[in-house]
Formats: sequence, C-alpha cells, structure tokens
Amino acid sequence: MADEGIAGSVAAPGGGDRPSTIVGRSPWQIFWMRFRRDRVALGAGVFLVLLAALAITAPLIARDLVHHDPNALFRDTLNEIGLPKVGPSAEFWFGVDTSGRDVFVRTIYGARTSLLVALLSTGFAVVLGILLGSLAGYLGGWVDTVISRAIDLTLSLPVLLFSIGIAAACSIKAEGCLGGLIQPGISLVTAIIALFTWPYIGRIVRGQVLTIRNKEFIEAARAMGASTGRILLRDVLPNLAAPIIVYGTLIIPSNILFEAALSFLGVGIPPTTPSWGRMISDAARGQLYTVAWWMLFFPGMALVLTTLAFNLVGDGLRDALDPRTQVTG
Amino acid sequence: MKRHVTLVALLASLALVAAACARGEEPTETGPTGPTATGEIPTGGILREETTDFGFTNAFDPTGEYLGTAWAIYGNFLLRGLVSYPWLPGEKGGNEPVPDLATDLGEVSADGLTIKFTLKDGVMWQPPLNRPVTSQDVAFAFQRINTKSLIAQYGNYYCGTIVGMDCEGKSQDDPIEGIETPDEKTIIFHLERPTGDFLYRLAQPAAAPVPPEVAGCFDKAGEYGRYVMSNGPYMLLGSDELDISSCDTLEPIKGYDPDKFMYVVRNPNYDQSTDENRKNYIDGWSYVINTNLDDIYNRVLNGEIDIAHGAPPAAILQQYLTNPDLKDNLKTNSGDRTWYITMNLIVPPFDDIHVRKAVNYVVDKAAMLQATGGPTTGEIATTIEPPTVLPDLADYDPYATPNHAGDVELAKEEMRQSKYDSDGDGVCDDPVCDNVLMINRNYEPWTEYTPILTENLKQIGINLKVRELDVGTAYTTIQTMSNLIPIAANAGWGKDYASPFGFDYFLFSTAGLSCEGAVNYSNIGLDAELAKECGDEVYEAWKAATDNGKNPLPNVDADMEACVAKPFGPEYNACWAALDRKIMEEIVPWVPYRWGSQNTVLADTVVAWEYDQSAGWTAYSRTAVNNGLTMDEVAQV
Amino acid sequence: MIRYMIRRTLFLVVVLVVVSMFTFLVFVKLPAGDPIARAVGRHPSPELVAQVRENFGLDRPLWVQYWRFASGMIPWPGLFLNEKVYFSYRNQTSVKEQILGRLPVTIALTIGAALLWLAIGIPIGVISAIRRGSLLDRAAMIFALVGVSAPIFWLGLVLLYVFHFWLGWLPTAGLPKGQSVLRSVFEGYFVLPWFSLAITSAAFYSRMTRGNLIETMGEDYIRTARAKGIPEHRVIFRHGLRAALTPVVTMFGMDVAFLLGGAVITESVFQLPGLGQYAIVSLYAADFPAVMGVTLVGAFFIVVANFVVDILYAFLDPRVRYT
Repeated sequence: MADEGIAGSVAAPGGGDRPSTIVGRSPWQIFWMRFRRDRVALGAGVFLVLLAALAITAPLIARDLVHHDPNALFRDTLNEIGLPKVGPSAEFWFGVDTSGRDVFVRTIYGARTSLLVALLSTGFAVVLGILLGSLAGYLGGWVDTVISRAIDLTLSLPVLLFSIGIAAACSIKAEGCLGGLIQPGISLVTAIIALFTWPYIGRIVRGQVLTIRNKEFIEAARAMGASTGRILLRDVLPNLAAPIIVYGTLIIPSNILFEAALSFLGVGIPPTTPSWGRMISDAARGQLYTVAWWMLFFPGMALVLTTLAFNLVGDGLRDALDPRTQVTG
Repeated sequence: MKRHVTLVALLASLALVAAACARGEEPTETGPTGPTATGEIPTGGILREETTDFGFTNAFDPTGEYLGTAWAIYGNFLLRGLVSYPWLPGEKGGNEPVPDLATDLGEVSADGLTIKFTLKDGVMWQPPLNRPVTSQDVAFAFQRINTKSLIAQYGNYYCGTIVGMDCEGKSQDDPIEGIETPDEKTIIFHLERPTGDFLYRLAQPAAAPVPPEVAGCFDKAGEYGRYVMSNGPYMLLGSDELDISSCDTLEPIKGYDPDKFMYVVRNPNYDQSTDENRKNYIDGWSYVINTNLDDIYNRVLNGEIDIAHGAPPAAILQQYLTNPDLKDNLKTNSGDRTWYITMNLIVPPFDDIHVRKAVNYVVDKAAMLQATGGPTTGEIATTIEPPTVLPDLADYDPYATPNHAGDVELAKEEMRQSKYDSDGDGVCDDPVCDNVLMINRNYEPWTEYTPILTENLKQIGINLKVRELDVGTAYTTIQTMSNLIPIAANAGWGKDYASPFGFDYFLFSTAGLSCEGAVNYSNIGLDAELAKECGDEVYEAWKAATDNGKNPLPNVDADMEACVAKPFGPEYNACWAALDRKIMEEIVPWVPYRWGSQNTVLADTVVAWEYDQSAGWTAYSRTAVNNGLTMDEVAQV
Repeated sequence: MIRYMIRRTLFLVVVLVVVSMFTFLVFVKLPAGDPIARAVGRHPSPELVAQVRENFGLDRPLWVQYWRFASGMIPWPGLFLNEKVYFSYRNQTSVKEQILGRLPVTIALTIGAALLWLAIGIPIGVISAIRRGSLLDRAAMIFALVGVSAPIFWLGLVLLYVFHFWLGWLPTAGLPKGQSVLRSVFEGYFVLPWFSLAITSAAFYSRMTRGNLIETMGEDYIRTARAKGIPEHRVIFRHGLRAALTPVVTMFGMDVAFLLGGAVITESVFQLPGLGQYAIVSLYAADFPAVMGVTLVGAFFIVVANFVVDILYAFLDPRVRYT
C-alpha cells in the first residue's frame, strides 16, 4: 500500500456506466461472454479460486501433507543464537523462521487471514458506502451535505496514524472497545479498514445515484407513489450493481495491502495468527532477511500475487461491464 | 525498575540491551587491540557513540532521572557526589561506594542516626560558575528531591529516611530539617532509623550537589535537564557559555539536543588530583541519535563510530561470534537484572499456586535464551535475584528441569493438584484457561517469546491470547490494577544499587501496590481495602481469589521489615536470600527466565575499556580511544 | 466565485476543527495507557500522580483540555503549536521545533518521489495510450499493475536487499547524523525511498493518464481537431493531454499533501527522521502532544491541498460552476 493511504487502484478511471442492453441477451450474459474472452483476468480469477481453496484447506494440508502445525516450533532448525539454519528444503518447502516455524504452512495460513479480513472489510465498506452514498445522492439537501462532508473528512484523515491509534486503544483491555463490540484481532482490523474505505464506495455511489435520480423510470416510480426506500432498493440499486462490483473488486486488493501494512506495523492481528504483513516485518527486524531471505521472499510474493490477481480480475470486470471498451477492444 | 532497557529500546525493532553475568570472562582493562606497545593508555580523541533513542525518564534532570545510561553519564562525566563508585566491574569492587566529593565515607554516630561528611578542597563548578562546590549545594540537591513538583523518581530512598523529608515539599528553597550545613565544607545527615545501605543511596545521582543559581530557576520536573552544570571532569559542550546573570537569560545548552545529540568536553575547572577513580583519557564524548539500529552496529563494524551499547541484532551478532577478529570487540558483563514472567494472584487460573508452579515447570527457558540471542545475552535465571546481587542464591533452582528446557510431566503433576484440572490428566480443562490474556512487548526478542510461551502453556491446557504493546504501554497496562492482567512477559527489573533491598522491596511488598503505577504486579499482600479502592472489578476478583477474604493473599511485608533491620553484611544477605526462597516456593508470583547481560560493542579504535558495575554501563572515565579526533571535527551543533 | 471561496474557507476551518476533535478523542481520550504513569516513575504516591496530572493539565474539564490543544492550530504567533501545550512528554522538547526540524526530510522525500513518479508514470501512460494494444502498452500496463499491487514496505526491503546488501550500489537506510538533508540527497540516501514510493504511485499515475487520455481522445473536439488536419502529435499534446491531465493534477496535489503529513511506512522502513516517523515513535510512546501536533499538521496539509485543488479546478475547468 502506498503511504498516501488506500487510494491505490480504487479510483481507476473510466469506470462503470450501466451496461447497454442488446436484444435477446441479458446484461449478465454479455458480461460473462466478454469476461471469458479476457484470458488474463480469467487466469487471475482461477488463481484466486485456487488460493481460496488453499486457504480453506490449509489445516488439512498442514496436518496431512506437510505434517507441520503453523505454530509448531522446530527449535533444532535454529542455531545457538536463534537464527534459522534451514532454508527452503524438502522438509520445509519455504524454510523456517526465527521461531523454527514452517514458513510454507504459515504462508498458506496467512492467505486465510488476508482474504478473510479483506473480504469482510470490503463487504462492510460496500454496504456502508451504498447506504450512505445512495441516501446522499437521492435525497440531496442537508443529508447530502452531511454525508459528503463526512466523506471528505474521512479522506482527509491520516489513515494509518488513526488506524494505529484506534487499534492501540482497543487492544489493551481484554474486552476490547465499544463495550466488547469490537474485539481486538480480526474484527478490530476489519472494522478499522471498513471505516476508512467506505467513503470511496460512498462517493462513487452518490455520483451514480445523482446521474440516474432524474431518469424517467425513477420519476415514474415516484409518480406512482413508491416510497424512497422502495425506489432506492428496487429501482436505483440494481442499476448500480455494475460499478459496485467493479469498485468492490478493486478495493479488495488495497484492503489486503491495508491489513498487511497494519500487521507490518505490529497492530491488529494477534501475533500468533499467521499474517503476511507480520511475517514480512519479522523478516525485516534486525536485518534478518540478509541471513534468511526466504522469510521476506515468500510472504511478500504471496502478497504481491494475490493483490495482482485481484487487480487483474477487477480490471477484467470493468472492461467486461463497460460498453465503451468494445469500441476498440 | 531502572528503566534502562525499557526506554532505550522504545523504537520497536530494537534488540535488548541487557546482559548477564559473565562470571568467568576475563576482566580486562584493555580494548580489542590490547594495550599500546608501550603499555601506556593514550589520552585524547573523542569517543563516538550512537543510540536509537536517549530514553531519559526525566529529561536528564538528575533529580528525577531514572535511566541507567544517564547515571553513567552523570557519574563518569558531570556529577561528583559525596560518595560514588570506582567505575569498575563488580569483581573489582565496582559496586562498592568510595569517597568522591567527601574526604572519606563519613563519620557515623554510635546510634547510626547521624552521618557527617567533610568536603574535599579544590573541587570547583565548571565555568561560568567558577566557584568551589559547597555543602549547601549538596543540601540543595535534597531540597530538590523533596520538592513535589520536581518528581524525584526514586525519592523514596530519602523521604522517610532523612529527618524532615517527605517528598511533598512546595519549594526547592525550603531547607530540610535533618540536613545541617554548619559551614561550606561540612554536611550532617540525621536519619529516622539506622539505614545500612545509606551510602549507596548517597551515591545515586539525585544526591549529587546541584548549583542553586542555575537549578533554582527550574521548578518543574525535567526542566533542569537542559542546563545541567558539572563539577566533574567533563561538561556539556557549550555549557560554559550560559549567561547566569539571571534566570531569564538562561538558554538551553547547545551541546545537548534531546532529540539529536549530546556532546561532552573537558571541564577546565576540574582538578585531577582531587579524584582517584576517574582516569579521563578521552577529550570528549559524542552521543548521537541514529534511528537505524542496524546501521549503528554496521558503523561500529566499519569504525565510523567507536562504541554502542546493547546486543546487536542477531544477523550482526552472528558476525561477532563467528569472526575471530571481532570476538574481542563484543563485551559481555553482568547487567544485574532479572527478566521474568509475572502472574497475577487474583486472576484465574493463576490464583491457584499449583498452576503457577506448573507454569514454572513448563516454560522452556533454554528456548527463550536462544531466542534472545544465546549465552551472550545472559544466563538462565532460576530465582528472583541474580547471584551478582545476592551470591547466597547462586545454586538455587526450585523448579529445575533437564537443560532448563521445561518438563511437561512435572508441570502436569502440579496442574493435577490444581482446582482447574477436574479429570486429573494434568491439563487444565476449566474455561478460565481459554483466551488467557498475556501482555508482551512488541519488539524482539520479546516477540520471539510469544510463540514459545504460547506453545509451552498449551501443553498444560492454558491457551494464551497475546497482546504485544510498546514497552511503555505494556508497563502501564500491567501497572494498572483494574486491568486485571493474568500474565505478562514484558517485565524486567534491574538493581538501583547493589543491595537486595534496592532490588526487590517494591516488587513484593504492599508498598509496591497501588491502583495505578503498581510494580507488585502479582498483587502479593493485596487486602480488601485497597482492592475496593481500585474498583469493583478488582474487589470482585480479590473476593473470588481469597474466598471472600477467608484465605487472605500471602504477605511478605513483615519479612521485609525484618530484613531491612538486619545489619548490612552476611546476615542481611542471608535474610533476603531466605525471603527469596519463600517467595519462589510459597508464593510463586514469577517465572524468572533470564539474568540479563550488558553487551557492549567496540570498534578497533577503543584501546582501553572498562565496565562500570554500578550503572551497568561503560565506565567512560576509564575508556580510551586512538582516533585522534577533536570535538570540532565531530560535533554538529 | 468569491462566495464560493468564502464557503470553502469556512469548510476548511470546520474540517480542521472536526479533525482536531477526532484526533483528540482517538489519541488522548481513547487509550487506556495512562501517560501519567509513565512520567512518575517507579512507585508513585497518589499525590504524585495527581501532581503530574495537574502539570499536564489533565485534571481540567474535558473541553478545557481540548481547547488547550485546539488553540494550537490557530495560525497566530503565540498560539500556533504553543510550546506550553505542544511540548513533548517524552523528551521535553517543543513539538513545533521537532516538526520544523523534520520537515526538510519529509519534503525531500516527497518532492523527489513525486518528481520521479510523474517522470515515470505520465510518459508510460501517454505511450501506452497512443500505442494502445501494442506490446509496449501491455508491458507498461503489467508494470503498472505489479506496481500497484506491491506493498511499499516489502518493495523497500527488497530494494534495500538488492541495491545495498547485495550489489552495494546505494547507501543503507537512515540518514547520516549531523549533515544537511541536501548533502544526504546528493549522497544518494534518498534514492531507494524515492523509488519505493514512486514505483507504486507511478504505476497508478500511468494507469490514470492512459485511461484519461484514451477517453479524451474519443471526445468530439479531438475529432474536430483531427478533421481540421492538425498533426496527430499536436492533437495529442496540445489538446488531448491538456484535458487528460487535469484530474491527474488534482490527484497529484492530494498525494503530495498526504505525503507531506508524513510518509509513515516509507519513513519507518528506511528509518528516515521525518514527520511520519516522528508520529509513529510518539504514538508508540503515548506522547500525545507530539501525536496531536503532527497529525494536525498532516491534516492541515491535506485540507489546504483540497482547497487549492478545488479553487484551481474552478479556474481551469470551465464546465465547473459554483454557486
């Protein structure tokens, strides 16, 4: 993640008008037809499916294939002063870390943490973004002012500092924050990431709603006396599906990097839970990576490939959902 | 604790600074390259040192400053007290007070309640003060200690001991009843009770004289730290330019920037003939903040700087241990410091002594030492006080396991006797053993302890949930009683001075209990009254742990009082040794796992080096370099 | 327009006030770790604790405490980062002095990285937009995607490993003590931090430039220009790029402002004594006057950049109208 926050790939341009309809095929059929032709995106999608499978089956792989628990300590793989002696080998595919733990097993367990946090936080951010963004766009007036300003405000905060501040404050008491609602660990990290990502979705949704709010079919629904909630739910939202899917997908990789950055800085995910960011910061301590390069290389590659795959899939989705791409495509 | 390790290492990624006893290591007064050809130690040059953070606890104001490094700086360079230390390692008497500003170790009255000192002639304050040090300057130091707003962090060694001192004073100008200065050269202390280790307390930097014309301008904690005046062999660079005509004209000394550097140069008013213990080979010392810990050690390796304190990160330590040319450049000395895991007597499952004993058996202390960086960084601790402080306990190991690697069977044997193992399989099966919160520090080697302890305790059914916090937050978290932290691995304790009293009085007595800022983390001796005062949660926990007060928590206050009253010497030590055994076997608040070493890394430019046991740091006044530098070439003011 | 500017200015003030409240709550009131406990030492009496609390002003009502900090944001001599309030607990120094002292490092890092990412990102974006679908375009976009996907802390460490520990071409992390920032710049201490920061951003800027340029080139007025027979390179650079880069400029303003508030991760990985590192160190030490000061200064940069960008937009883009 760049220092400048999570802007990352989220605000990528040229995104998402509604797919135009062609006679005889639903927009989704068209979308799938186009997406299938994008071999890079499809490949990335396959990679993600495999990764998810690996993450889900990690306990089985660890138990039955590698026979190493992620937290098992093989201390005879360390020398007298605690440096790992064993690099990538038949026994330890990705080598061992400074506690004598299997880096391969921890890397696949790390995928669980990464995917879980990123998907959950993106989910919350999307829900919050849709809710507030569509209210702001549809209702306008003071509601719009308040929500838009809240968006501006959240985007003006030094995100990392605030995240660390909140994480630190919520990590001390055993019961966590907000009367136990936010528990230290995965739920805390998820909440923090969602808190700082919803404005990106909110902003886009608001813009989209603004453009369709005065379209005829909405006017018609209004004229027929439909309630605001019903209009938003039945008429506005379905038309936002495409951009939301695209931007939601593109936020996932930046949230993966967000989680990794927090773990790298040592806040959030509990220390014994395998996490790629934490593994990288372990490798960075005391120049350890100069004697045990595998501690830096493997979790880093896992992180890069995963975010790359999500970005590729997100790009593919956007191209497939954007009618203009066909012009030159 | 002397916050030595704790604060120096504030930046996350730091290695620990402590270090164990290198009994058996050849005491040496020569550096890596040995003495020069003629056998003479050269003078001149600047000793260049870097650190990641000064870590001062009171902004370098001697009245409150509690950091070991600062004590070494005061003692070797700036402040001469009535008594001080010879700046030598323990085996050469480095822990024994010697006369410094005073002509002798004082005349003690028959009842032990009065001590009189006479000041040497010829000890002067640095420019621009240019006047002799007087007994009133010494008395003024105590007036400062007694002033509440100045926050003397170890004022408890004087308040309650010297007549008229309560550390509640309103003004530093108020004289103290129990301190008499009949003339400029004489000072008499009146004590409340005979105090065997009073000389040690006088040797502390807060008791060294302070000039009222400068220090008197500052009545808030820490402020004087940027104006410290010297009566020792060196002074802060630029401090001689201070305009002392009034308080308003004082400007912070330019040679000390709390966030960048500290430079000391020779004090022209110092007379070597008045000082037997400081050798003062170097022309100056530069102490610079470098936030890149690895780079500091790389720079020592390259000879770009001369010295660094603390064990280098493992990747660099490896070079020192394996390269024969470097071997002598890494010094290992006793740090007089115990690292331990503390367990809370009022929080399940540690409210059961058998669980606490089981933990003592199950922890793999050998793995913890290995994770710290091996034998260079210390030796395995088997009891509370390191043998360097209390030799009586040298071979005592109440929870011995093979190779100190822990013994699951012995641990299960204990667990079986606890109330949390209902089926008797030696594994805790009570829900209180799930998600047991453990506080730890968030940098190495502590982060390396997290996986070890998690795996160790899992074997007896205790599932830890570890919070890693920065060192300051970790301490304040376990110091706040209402947090009810069950177990913590962040704690360490170093001596203030080499007496068992100075080592463990507050750790286990009720004097160390308070709702905030408690240091008796295990709550030994906690009673209903204080538990109530610290909040409902604490009181409830206390009631549950004591069966509504029917089985009160163990209390060692009386034992401690008895030991304090013993005459200083073998009997005194024996008393404390017996108390330590009692605590280790009948109360079991700790798992002591390492007696930390102090490591020092030297460049080849250091041609003479000595360890000062009293501060657990380099004896700067006995260290020499051959780099031929002058302060003009080094200082970047 | 003037009314709009007044409104924006007022909003700027409101944002700063709200940000300062947030900062105060998150960093001062939320943490359970009591900074007092750290200042009083080993075994304080309750009286001592109370005394320190008073020294630090923590015994006052909440709003008084807040006001003490908030007033430090008013750019008025004597009030701005008032040294009575913005005084570091950790080492008894003025926060203002610290911030000013560290600003050069952060500025050097930001400017260097920003120039670098513009120099890499925009040409790549333009070339791939012009040669759309070519091998060059594909290569450039793969670079861009990988760049966007690489975590900066990992990238930084890998660069350090390769260029310092392995090849030995560039100096290590950190800055040499006591020499000017400018000299360190010339000695190459900033090269790796610049590249780590720039690669991620350059990737992003090239994607953005490419996308915008492709979009602009499809606009009617470009077709008109082409139809008039204006040479293609002039169409691209005179007409296309100009419009395509307007949002890039906006983004650039915001990014630079964010970085000026402290590039937390880059400064930690490369041990640069800038604002971000100051913030982190102070945060870990619960030195909240310092955290407040640096966070507010950071937010100030962002809000001001936001303001400037908005105003510029109003001048640059005739389509934007304000009421």
